[in-house]
Amino acid sequence: MTGHDVVFVVVGLVTAGAAVLTVTSKNLMHAALYFAVTLGGMAGVFLTLAADFLALVQIVVYVGAVTVLFLFGLMLTRAPIGREALDGQNRGLGMAVSGGLFVVLSTLVIGAFGGQGTAEVSGPGIRDFGIAIFADWVLPFEVLSMLLLAALIGAIVLARRESGESGEESTVTRIELSVDRDPDTAEHEQPALTAGAGSSGEEHP
Amino acid sequence: MSPVGPLLLATFLFCAGVYGVIARRNAVLVLLSVELMLNAVNINLVTFQNLLFPDDPAVTGQMFALFIIGVAAAEVGVGLAIVFNMFRNRASVDVDDADLMRW
Amino acid sequence: MEPLLDYAWVVVVLPLLSAVLITAFGKQLPGKGSELGIASLAISWLLALGIAWETFVNSPIEPVERAIDWSPLGGGFIFELGILVDGLTAVMLLLVTTVSFMVHIYSREYMRGEVRFTYFFAMLSLFTFSMLLLVVSNNLLQAVIGWELVGLCSYLLIGFYWEGKSNQDAGNKAFMTTKFGDVGLIVGVIVLSAGMFSMTDTPFNILQINEAAAAGQLSTTTVVLGMLMIFLGCVSKSGQMPLHVWLPDAMAGPTPVSALIHAATMVTAGVFLLARLFPVVAQSQAVMATIAIFGVITLFFGGLLALVQDDLKKILAYSTISQLGYMVAAIGVGGYTASVFHLFTHGFFKALLFLGAGSLIHAVHSNNISDMGGLARAMPHTFWTFIVGSLALAGFPLTAGFFSKDEILIAGDLWAGAGFVTGSLVYWVGLAAAFVTTFYMARACFLIFAGENRSHHAPHESGKLILAPLMVLAVLSVASGYLLSPFSPEQPNFETWTATPILDEEASYPFAQESGEADAEHSAVGVVGDGVLASGTVMAAEKEGPVKVLHGVPTWHPDLLAMVLVLFSLAVFLAYRFYGKGLPERDPTLSMGRFTDVLVAKYGFDDFGYRYIVVPVRDRLSAAASYSSNVLIDGVVAGVGRATKNAATTTYRVVDQQVIDGSINGAAFSAAWWSEKLKRIQSGDVQRYAGVLVAGTIVLVLAFAAAR
Repeated sequence: MTGHDVVFVVVGLVTAGAAVLTVTSKNLMHAALYFAVTLGGMAGVFLTLAADFLALVQIVVYVGAVTVLFLFGLMLTRAPIGREALDGQNRGLGMAVSGGLFVVLSTLVIGAFGGQGTAEVSGPGIRDFGIAIFADWVLPFEVLSMLLLAALIGAIVLARRESGESGEESTVTRIELSVDRDPDTAEHEQPALTAGAGSSGEEHP
Repeated sequence: MSPVGPLLLATFLFCAGVYGVIARRNAVLVLLSVELMLNAVNINLVTFQNLLFPDDPAVTGQMFALFIIGVAAAEVGVGLAIVFNMFRNRASVDVDDADLMRW
Repeated sequence: MEPLLDYAWVVVVLPLLSAVLITAFGKQLPGKGSELGIASLAISWLLALGIAWETFVNSPIEPVERAIDWSPLGGGFIFELGILVDGLTAVMLLLVTTVSFMVHIYSREYMRGEVRFTYFFAMLSLFTFSMLLLVVSNNLLQAVIGWELVGLCSYLLIGFYWEGKSNQDAGNKAFMTTKFGDVGLIVGVIVLSAGMFSMTDTPFNILQINEAAAAGQLSTTTVVLGMLMIFLGCVSKSGQMPLHVWLPDAMAGPTPVSALIHAATMVTAGVFLLARLFPVVAQSQAVMATIAIFGVITLFFGGLLALVQDDLKKILAYSTISQLGYMVAAIGVGGYTASVFHLFTHGFFKALLFLGAGSLIHAVHSNNISDMGGLARAMPHTFWTFIVGSLALAGFPLTAGFFSKDEILIAGDLWAGAGFVTGSLVYWVGLAAAFVTTFYMARACFLIFAGENRSHHAPHESGKLILAPLMVLAVLSVASGYLLSPFSPEQPNFETWTATPILDEEASYPFAQESGEADAEHSAVGVVGDGVLASGTVMAAEKEGPVKVLHGVPTWHPDLLAMVLVLFSLAVFLAYRFYGKGLPERDPTLSMGRFTDVLVAKYGFDDFGYRYIVVPVRDRLSAAASYSSNVLIDGVVAGVGRATKNAATTTYRVVDQQVIDGSINGAAFSAAWWSEKLKRIQSGDVQRYAGVLVAGTIVLVLAFAAAR
């Protein structure tokens, strides 16, 4: 166990722990923030794996943009700030499936790569990376930029309000359905549940 | 280092992501979990590239991870736009309520 | 040698042709078809005369046989359509064509103005054809066909005036009664042919049957059963008791029909067939005895019935029955020639009597002799011809009837001499019946021609077409007798004429052996060809030998002659006493108490027939048959129909609706039920979908890993 390995283990534990907390946290905001930690941890993992460029890209894109996006998303969709039962009805299924998957995959991985000895970690330098992008991967690179453009336009289109509507939302008539609500969140019941409620302005999280 | 470590980590993160996709009630957190899964895959790729095939001139593994990052970002954007739409129509992002396609 | 014999078939076919032509366009001819019938009969008669002459002059001749063969079964069995012309055939041809010709001419006048005149002549021609077909047949099948056809024509002609129910009934009665006898005929023919089957390809051929019988090749069973059955046919057709009941009722037909069919021809068909098959008859004593007994009963009791009749035609009908009894009895006692001879002569004088009766009936418009009287002056020609016929019937010496009837009595006498009691029966009962015959004919004649006219009409003599046949027949009634009389030559005479190679001089009866002693009165042996025995009592000859079939030219039998004359005179005297001056207050014949009642009731035959045959069949048998058909059989059919319908209904309800529809409905229902249960998979919960998907992936991974 070299120092490299120790560093990796530490960073790995942090990442794993943060990930667990992400998916089990009852507080939505905490979940998002734990997610940011997870992403940071992953950048650290990349660094230990000598993928420095990728680590930096991870931080820039994920921690910087995606986390913010999520936070915006949570806030704009009136995610309740505070404790709430956030686990759905499929918890058992989720546990079973993810547990089973983990067992199977780890068995396979250990079986496949366990015998491998240690290997030297060496990643290409940024220079070689850049050459590789524009030599071998130029087409996917360009397509990726098209994709991003398309996603941009698509997101705008999807999130756009219908013309004629002012900045009002949630004046829609809620369809009556049997809603399985946790009793202790009753005080957080969103007033938009009642049909034809008032305008959106007075929402309180 | 042995590749088993990072691979196990990736597996763990992936399974955590699976759990989150299945068990979480808020749509945004489901998306979050999906991002988690993608990142786990990224770790896998980088491990393979840097530990098992370090001499690949095309740096396939890291390149793939890069593209995943890009695509994942685009996906998050579009996904959140969809969630907004859902929220606007239904005033709720609770996936348990989005069961209109049931029998 | 005898070229005309080959053309005998022309005689047969001409009347058929005439019948067809008359039916086709008789109505359009001026004579309404009668001229066609008369013309064809004339030609047939002339041809028959020629054939008769040839066969008579050259008698005894070899039979000429011509036939068309048909073997549908390949080898082994041949049906024939042919003619057999020998003396017997020629006799019959001559008789039938002559009487038919006379009747045709007579009918032209007699039936003038009657309804269905053309049909009448067509039927007369058809009947003549049928009778001729029977007579010329060379095989029994063809004879049966002719027999049945004759029966059909008789039925049609008896019921000629079918508007009257009693006429229909008379036709039915005749047909039914003769049909009953025809069963016997057909069975007998089959039995005989069965006996012949092993010996020849043509088992029905008459010549071959006769030859086989004469040679003793037929078994006793064949002979006895066959001939008795055929005799049953003769009993009905020739009016023997007990099947005579149809003949008196047959008088419902027009008088020319009675003359032709029920006097001269059809009723003689039975006798003719017995004569034709005489070689077979001659083989069995039992058969001959049976025939003789029936004949004797008929000739006597039939004659008695004529005593109490008022209807002239009925008197003649019973007289016919009685005379037929004579003919049949003659066959039974070995009088082959006598029987045919009497057939021949009786045909003429009985036809004469019937035609004369027709003339009388026309004049007084009534059948009853009680409505006639004093007609001798008004109708002289009818009178003397009728008298001639009556004398012939009564057997007055020197008429044809005398010779023929006496031949029969002599035959009976000879048979008795051979030791058979039936011969004596024929002789003595025959004489007694002759007395009765004379008496009732004299009664009729006196009541018709003597005394005052009791009818309400002024009678006048009939026309020429009626009188001419009467006169011709009157002449024949006398002349025909001389064919077989003591005045006849040795050859040809009637006996040689009707002799055949089988029934020749040497033919004899296998069971009849003459015993040594012989009665002085009666001869034992009739020897032919050795010359006539001296006149006078027949000598008692102490000869042994077989009894021969042919008796030779008859001699005078003074004892018989004397008895005949005495009986005749006595009868005429009695009749004159009672009826000479017209109808008496009380008819003696009707005043004989129980005897009269029995006779008037016709011995109860008709009552018996009605009560024990007609009523059970009509009321019970047909009701039972109707029941079995309508109730049982229809019930079965309806039951089957009902059962099928029920099965179909059940099948529909159970199989179709419950099982098949049920299974289909069940399939649909189970699909819906499963769907109801399985739809819950689609929960709408996306996360559940994802979870299950991942679980499936785990399974797949495991599977692939395990495969590795």
